[in-house]
Amino acid sequence: MAVSPLVAPTSDAAQPSQFARPTSSPFKRQASAVPSSNGNGTPRYPPHARPPAPDAAAVALDPIEQLNEDEKRKYVKGKKLGEGTYANVYLGHVRHDPATLVAIKKIKVQQQYLDGMAPDAVRELKYLRELCHPNIISLLSVFSSKDQNLNLVLEYLPLGDLEMLIRDVDRVRYGAGDIKAWMGMLARAVWFCHDNHVLHRDIKPNNLLIAADGDVKLADFGLARSFADPGRRMTANVITRWYRPPELLFGARHYGGAVDVWSVGMVFAELIIRAPFLAGNTEVEQIALICKQIGTPTEDCWPGVSQLREYTVPADVVPVWGKEAYMGRFGAVGPDGVDLLVRTVALDPKKRITAREMLEHRWWRTDPKPTRKEDLPRKSAGGEEKMGADLKRRNGTVDSDSNNRGAKVARKLDFGQAK
Amino acid sequence: MATEDARYRQTSQYQLWSFSPTQLAAMRENTNAAARTRIADRLASLPAASSNTSAPTSSVNTPDPEGAATPALPEFLTAPEEAQLMNFNTSELLRAGDHAEMPDEIKATAAAFFRRFYVTNSIMTYPPQQMLIVALFFACKAEGSFISITEFGKQFGKDNPEEILAGEFLLCQGLRFAIDVKHPFRALRGAMMELSTLPDIEARQVPSPLPREYSLTLLFQQRDRLAAAEHRAREILRFSALMTDAYFHYTPSQIMLAALSLADRGLAERLITQTFHYVAPPPLSDNSGVDTPATSGPDALSNNTKKAAAPRSHNNNNNNSGQDKTQMIGSQIRDRVLGTIETCRDLLSKELPERREHWTNKAVIKAQIAPLRKKLTKCHDPDRWNLVELQRVRREQAAKKAGGGGGSDDGEPDDRTLDGDAAVFGEALPVPPKRRKVGAGATGGGAGQGKGDPFGGVL
Repeated sequence: MAVSPLVAPTSDAAQPSQFARPTSSPFKRQASAVPSSNGNGTPRYPPHARPPAPDAAAVALDPIEQLNEDEKRKYVKGKKLGEGTYANVYLGHVRHDPATLVAIKKIKVQQQYLDGMAPDAVRELKYLRELCHPNIISLLSVFSSKDQNLNLVLEYLPLGDLEMLIRDVDRVRYGAGDIKAWMGMLARAVWFCHDNHVLHRDIKPNNLLIAADGDVKLADFGLARSFADPGRRMTANVITRWYRPPELLFGARHYGGAVDVWSVGMVFAELIIRAPFLAGNTEVEQIALICKQIGTPTEDCWPGVSQLREYTVPADVVPVWGKEAYMGRFGAVGPDGVDLLVRTVALDPKKRITAREMLEHRWWRTDPKPTRKEDLPRKSAGGEEKMGADLKRRNGTVDSDSNNRGAKVARKLDFGQAK
Repeated sequence: MATEDARYRQTSQYQLWSFSPTQLAAMRENTNAAARTRIADRLASLPAASSNTSAPTSSVNTPDPEGAATPALPEFLTAPEEAQLMNFNTSELLRAGDHAEMPDEIKATAAAFFRRFYVTNSIMTYPPQQMLIVALFFACKAEGSFISITEFGKQFGKDNPEEILAGEFLLCQGLRFAIDVKHPFRALRGAMMELSTLPDIEARQVPSPLPREYSLTLLFQQRDRLAAAEHRAREILRFSALMTDAYFHYTPSQIMLAALSLADRGLAERLITQTFHYVAPPPLSDNSGVDTPATSGPDALSNNTKKAAAPRSHNNNNNNSGQDKTQMIGSQIRDRVLGTIETCRDLLSKELPERREHWTNKAVIKAQIAPLRKKLTKCHDPDRWNLVELQRVRREQAAKKAGGGGGSDDGEPDDRTLDGDAAVFGEALPVPPKRRKVGAGATGGGAGQGKGDPFGGVL
């Protein structure tokens, strides 16, 4: 595998467009050459570079500043969708095509973070820039505004998020086919992240936004990171508590894609029962809930678990529940669906199903068929504000929180806005 | 699912930061020319006293024979001189990274950042000695290591971290906000693991010509050819690949193989032949029953060569897969790869690890670097050289005219024809369709696009 991208670049010439991505469009000029500022704002392109005439450089913009200026001008910023401490979110559109809407997330210079660009902004920028998939929110462009704030131009997702649909029990009805469709899109997004060696580390319903055409898009990469090299430690203080797997609750510092898969399982369960499955108010409570509802992690079902730094479980050991135990509450998705659910919530991360195996599971192929995305239930109102609210939030817990573990509250889960 | 090659083509490293040598040279010329023009204009408009050519106070009142209003312009750095300074500063960056005991990935990312930044920014515009520290700081973050600026500054004896922070956004903008750098280090480890599974690797060192001064005594004693090769190749990746433009011209795997080839040519070639082993079957005629491959036998039935010669009803399918194979792992590709590795090898060999000493050699610095630095103190941009001041001014400007934006549409230039060696990076990318079909196209390709494909297709 390590030697796979051997093919000389020349061989790409025949088919580059196939791999073109919209994210590239704002940046792609760079691939040809750098413009010189020649006074009228129109970048000039070599290969046959001509130095600008000496009298033409009255505009004191670097070539790179000029590019940034051009990038900024491609979009028109509209009304504010949301305002938060971390970012402001605006509705916008493409200047030459007002019908194409975008969300512009302006990341604020953070007062409490004194070390320059904040970690969540760095992570979001790094991973969204590289990951390009229909079920992952696309970063269309990035530019800086005059006050040196980052502006992320994201695709506009007007239909709110999954949490909104889950909570609106009165007006939104959905069935097994719908759940299958949403879960399918989520599973693909997670598989794609993992296949690109990226851990998302904050999967939950309100990070799953819904596009105008019904596509589910995984958003908020503020906690993402690349797979660590073997032996390198990572923080255990990630993933919103209700969706956090037992190994992280026990303080594991070495982990992999299995942490995201647990979150996917929690989202799956929540979609079925329309309420958070394991909603602990503290980490201790979260562990207790896992023990009660799924089973107590012990050396028998999870060899090595007792070695984890913060391993503590309630004294009365609950045996791990079998598939049958889930049928009553989660039977709506059928036995195959329950089988998948049980595999995603395996306590031992080594035994947990992988994102790839999820996609190969037979559930997707059994009836009912997943609903076509244009037929998926949706909410007509409130999505716009919801995207504003989802994007402006501060991203999940950050590394620096790990030194006050006692008082650690993963992150406020605000359901107030999601009626 | 997409091949790794297809994945690589989606990275910002490929899309934004890969250039042919001609392209890169043109961009640097362009950057140099733009900076000269702007600085010349700026210096000309400055009153003589405040120009940065040091004016001793005693001479302020003496009449200036050339006229105070038009100070003589300094001599500017040429593009090759800028390149020389950039290489020197890259080596300084690596030294600073060593000093702070940073992991290889961070140092490598920082070096890539630094060189990318100065593709579109002139060394005359922004101070390289500060920007290299900024690059190291931001590389730490980009690689997921978020350390406090105070802590970081201390390592380099900088009590006032403001300077570093002031350059951070500037750097990020210069990187076009693409901060993921793909390195060859893991590829090397993978290659060694793959080589170690091959049965016919000679255990003894059969060194390709190595620089005589490079002592492998200890490793020779261990008689461990692979370990010696990996060690040497890693050294090359840690230095040569970062000191040259290799990251701009080659993929991580190509760089890795070139480094391995420099360390032990036999191993690199073995790996390549191992990968590109496919021999296309001869084209089939109608009565093709006779050309049964020599490898026939019961277990050859699963062999692709055999399949391609199977009965005609399957011909189309099998021929296609044969063609695909030829395209991906056939001998033509192999030869092309070998050629690419060879050019990359030539590039890396210009800055072999032994050159570390060259860049710290006092005589070299005095003869080659000091004069350029001296020149630089006279010709740098008066408005942008002080990063802290620059940031302050920009923030003030932004505060004054909050809002802003607007302006006229900029014409999208469409003269994107590629000349010369630019073509190796493909044709100019067309404006992509609004919706990309990653699931069905790039990622779904190969595994099948049907409904049955769990990785793509319509659900």
